[in-house]
Amino acid sequence: MITVTINEKEITLEKPITVLEAARSAGISIPTLCYHPALERYGGCRLCLVEVEKMPRLQTACTLMTADGMIVRTETDAIAGVRRGILEFLLINHPLDCPYCDKAGECELQDLVEKYGPTTGRFKEKKRKMPESLEDAIIVRNMERCIVCTRCVRMCEGVQGASAIAVMERGGHSHIEPFSGGKYDCEYCGNCISVCPVGAIMSRMHRHSYRPWQMTDQVETICPYCGVGCTVTAQVRDDAIKRIIPKLGSPVNNGLLCSRGRFGYEFVGNRDRLTRPLIRKNGVLEESTWEEAIHRVTQKLGEIKEKYGSSSVAGIASPRCTNEDNYVFQKFMRVTIGTHNIDSTARTGYAGAQQFIENIFGQGATANIISGISRSDVVFVVGGDPTTVNPILGLQIRACSRKGGAVLTLGKVSGLRYFSPHALDPASFTETVLLEGIVTELKNRKELSGSHSSLESNIKDIAVSVEDVIKECKIREDDFHSFITLLSEASNPVLIIGKEIIQSNGASYKLLLLSAINYLINGRIYLLSERANEQGLLDMGCASDLLPGSRPVEVAELRRRYERAWHVTLPDKPGLTLFEMIHGAKEGSVRAMYVMGENPLFNLPNSENVKEALGNLDFLVVQDLFMTETAESADVVLPALSWAEKEGTFTNMERRIQKLRKVISRAGKEDWRIISDVSGNMGVSFPYDSAEDVFAEISKVSPLHRDLTYDDIEEGEALWPFKGEPLRGGMEISCNKGDGATESGKYFLAIDRPLFHSGTLSRKSSALMRLCPEAVARISSTTAAELSVTDGDSIRISTRIGSLSLPVFIDEAYDGSLIKVSNNFRGKGVFSLMEYSLDPVLKSPCMDNVIIEIEKSDRHVQRDPKNDSEVKK
Amino acid sequence: MEKVLLKNIENTNSADITEYQKIGGYASIAKALEKERKDIIEEVKKAGLRGRGGAGFPAAMKWTFASGDPKFPKYLVCNADEGEPGTFKDRPILEKNPHLLIEGMVISGYALNAEYGFIYLRGEYPDAKHILERAIAQAYDRNFLGDDIAGKGIVFHLSVHQGAGAYICGEETALIESLEGDRGQPRIKPPFPVNVGVWSKPTIVNNVETLSNLPYIIEIGGEAYSKIGSPECPGPKLYCVSGHIEKPGVYELPMGTSLREIIYTHCGGIKGGKQLKAVIPGGISTPVLPPDKIDCPMDFVNMPKHGSMLGSGAVIVMDETVCLVKVCYRALKFFEHESCGKCTPCREGTGWLRSILERIEHGEGQEGDIDLLLSVSSNILGKTFCPLGDGAASVVQNFIKHFRPEFEGHITAKTCAVEG
Repeated sequence: MITVTINEKEITLEKPITVLEAARSAGISIPTLCYHPALERYGGCRLCLVEVEKMPRLQTACTLMTADGMIVRTETDAIAGVRRGILEFLLINHPLDCPYCDKAGECELQDLVEKYGPTTGRFKEKKRKMPESLEDAIIVRNMERCIVCTRCVRMCEGVQGASAIAVMERGGHSHIEPFSGGKYDCEYCGNCISVCPVGAIMSRMHRHSYRPWQMTDQVETICPYCGVGCTVTAQVRDDAIKRIIPKLGSPVNNGLLCSRGRFGYEFVGNRDRLTRPLIRKNGVLEESTWEEAIHRVTQKLGEIKEKYGSSSVAGIASPRCTNEDNYVFQKFMRVTIGTHNIDSTARTGYAGAQQFIENIFGQGATANIISGISRSDVVFVVGGDPTTVNPILGLQIRACSRKGGAVLTLGKVSGLRYFSPHALDPASFTETVLLEGIVTELKNRKELSGSHSSLESNIKDIAVSVEDVIKECKIREDDFHSFITLLSEASNPVLIIGKEIIQSNGASYKLLLLSAINYLINGRIYLLSERANEQGLLDMGCASDLLPGSRPVEVAELRRRYERAWHVTLPDKPGLTLFEMIHGAKEGSVRAMYVMGENPLFNLPNSENVKEALGNLDFLVVQDLFMTETAESADVVLPALSWAEKEGTFTNMERRIQKLRKVISRAGKEDWRIISDVSGNMGVSFPYDSAEDVFAEISKVSPLHRDLTYDDIEEGEALWPFKGEPLRGGMEISCNKGDGATESGKYFLAIDRPLFHSGTLSRKSSALMRLCPEAVARISSTTAAELSVTDGDSIRISTRIGSLSLPVFIDEAYDGSLIKVSNNFRGKGVFSLMEYSLDPVLKSPCMDNVIIEIEKSDRHVQRDPKNDSEVKK
Repeated sequence: MEKVLLKNIENTNSADITEYQKIGGYASIAKALEKERKDIIEEVKKAGLRGRGGAGFPAAMKWTFASGDPKFPKYLVCNADEGEPGTFKDRPILEKNPHLLIEGMVISGYALNAEYGFIYLRGEYPDAKHILERAIAQAYDRNFLGDDIAGKGIVFHLSVHQGAGAYICGEETALIESLEGDRGQPRIKPPFPVNVGVWSKPTIVNNVETLSNLPYIIEIGGEAYSKIGSPECPGPKLYCVSGHIEKPGVYELPMGTSLREIIYTHCGGIKGGKQLKAVIPGGISTPVLPPDKIDCPMDFVNMPKHGSMLGSGAVIVMDETVCLVKVCYRALKFFEHESCGKCTPCREGTGWLRSILERIEHGEGQEGDIDLLLSVSSNILGKTFCPLGDGAASVVQNFIKHFRPEFEGHITAKTCAVEG
């Protein structure tokens, strides 16, 4: 115990903290500028100088650690003079352009000067001039206002790990500048903007369009992009989101945001938003009324159900919609239609992988706290770049590395390349062999505990020659062994699994090997999730084989619970999975499809095939925000409310249920309400007036969510395993080794998962479109040399099913013969080129063996993002 | 007094290892390696050696802290970033007697159980870089550096790291930042470099002159060494004297030689028989002294009693033809240029002081400017992150304290009475 006295007040502390923290904990305020709780101590601004007895000089409270018996004074005349003096220094070269500066009203310097500062200036010379930099599309720098507190630099380097900006020059010429010059070459997380105490670094997205005190509302909600589920605060003026800011102390992201979370909100106000229901008449989609549209949906679904049976109708749910939307949708499919034909794009990876892992380790095996990653000592990353798929989770890995943890990667992970990764980069199509080698070697070093019979018997069967593995994978022996040593000696390891490995040949066997590794090292598994409510959608039962609470459809005694709750008899066999639905539509067994908040025509591989399948349907209804590729093919299009316009809940990848709050009002209906209307019209009425009503039913029906209320969620208590009953693992393991694809082509096509885009929603945000305006073919410099192309040249990529002409982007961060293309831009999606085969166990597509042909095409002219038809504000 | 630090430097080939060994060089290494590490530290303690970089911190105390830290490896860094205006005392060692420094570092490295040493050399000493690198290569050849020094299994490696021309990198923590490849800015203390220094390992940063005393301390013993010069801070001291003086240069004299003796006895007095007007005794950061204050012994203990500091022992002598407003202005121009920008008072205050002085010097001074100078400098003094800002503020305060009428004259007459 430490006792310190600050301003005659005795403060008892458990452990040494800084004088500043001690003072603030006791309600004593000390002004600061360079101090920020998320950043390393700096001691530069000198505003927090205090008097400490027995110390000859004044001390900075932000850097000085408390010691027992320390006597501190913060409010003497001398200290008042110091504060006045420091603020005067900060103002002498400051432009004092508060009437023009966006920061005024929430400027820390302005507030401090008002409280402590001098009232008149004594500086008679000319002020330092530094022109405002508008060279960057997103971030504006005004270095005349900068006070060189370096919060931005410390954030960029020490937390974000981007190291994109630095203090340039020195002394009075010190200013912040990106290494890349005026324009930023960075991850555009904007966390520098968050921590800037003055108006030196600001977002251009809302420049001069508000004053902080003119915000009419400020709503804390959850980011709509990825599965991390960051808390965001949306600030609103006149029913439009002005900006998104993070909140310190929020559970998942603690004051940090990524580019999508911070700048990707504009789709909400995009003028392309659908406003009225559309009905196809004489081949053309025409505006209609809600009554007519719902009548049409009811009538057609009823007819088809009548004629072809319940199983001829299928539904695709949305990982972008809330738990409430998804629950109501699956209930509609199961109860009103009478089929388990409900699935989603989670089937492209997350769903199958999670189920596979949970069958072994039990339900919730992947529900691990994201902030725990930074506290682990070894992080093993497989199958993706967490820093682009789940950026805030990626920061946890970077933090782990910074704290001395080891980062192991299978293949090269671009976003971790500056975090001393131990990368094992096996030759193409030898990942399985390498994983077998790792299991073999770990098994030699670790004893099997005997606690898991089926997994252990699988592990016992895995035995390969490590020498052969090293040879086949073309890796260095030293690298392999140091990898094994780190894994086997880890005390608190983490395994992070991305989609690339789930979408590869023999994925279920690879997952078995990864599960074996996890078991041997006693690690925690994290499954990267691209969508905000991918987990929630599964937990709500939007899967053809799982009921709400993830109970298997096939088990009669489990099924009965739902039959009682819903007063129906449910089919006893699972319905069609996503890809089986597409197949069914093509074959004619599926005649009608209801798509809620999803764009399968673009978001699924072999788009042309999907288009053909959907075109074959008798009836397609699409419920969405925009006229997507799928909506264009629909018979009825129903406009939905977006994430910002409704209440509800999301469940993130760590299975934390979080509250979505309505940020702005807009005429229209929530997805669950539209479906309830359709259901009621079909004779099955759903008794909900609000999202909370829906959740109340979820907490009754789902054994996982038992007794959970909105109040629990508001209080942050909706953490796995809630109050529910997770199913145990230890099931028999079946897996498939795949067809042993080998390197038969020169170049391979892979999916690029860019930091600045996610699905097709992000292309409706002008900021993200400015950052990444068009599809590119990301290639290595080796490939570029082989093709004799440079940045800006175009290449034509052809596969058996299609071809695309794309500008080349040479990525120095990776090598090899992979050509990466994203699936975000209309008409330029990689899925239009990708054929797939289904993993028989996971039912997810394998897409790692797409052989392509490439030729150089005409030089590319860059698209002007300002004239982009996708973005209209 | 027998020359210790500048021994043999008249020999044009003094930087060569053969010449150095001819006069008994490197003999102390063998002698030191016979001792226990802690006994060498004890010897340094007995010698009363104090750091020659400017602060005069007892070397043995710093060493005890570092060797008491359980972390390994430990690093020994020689601060050869001789940047204080007026200072050129280390230069003859670096350029004429590099093996003395190397020998001192090997002994210190052994005493501290440090296996790696760095000489952080100021960027403006390109010749010294070549000389040091050649000397280091020679020392490796003769087994005074390397993995098995003198056949005793002792390891010590040494390399030269050249600075990029920043005064602040003479401050030990900024030096360490720069050595690590970062921007040269001081670090928060504590932790001190003796515990958390280069790459977070225990690090001893000593000045060139300090380390160069080691061979002699080993040779004659701490006891005998402590009898040289001032009893409270003994040893030979290099004084570098510049300005209006008959014989400027570097003088090796016993610590505590009086300023008057240095100027009038050793340096031959004021050039051309002119009148002495002011002396800066220890580099630009130390308080200026008027002629009636030069009877003080030049050591770390006595100089503060006489209103100044020994600093780096860089004596700048100014005669009656010098405009002290101009000197003060030029000094502040230096501090403004060299301020690293980390802390507010130094970053903004040095520039402000300079601009007021510039105005006064150019005949544009206004009434109240002197009070403003004093007020601004007191807003800097004691509030900065490192001593650089204090140095700037105290220059202004001391020039005004001793020569206020000259400043007032500039403001009222709008011109300089000395230079016209």
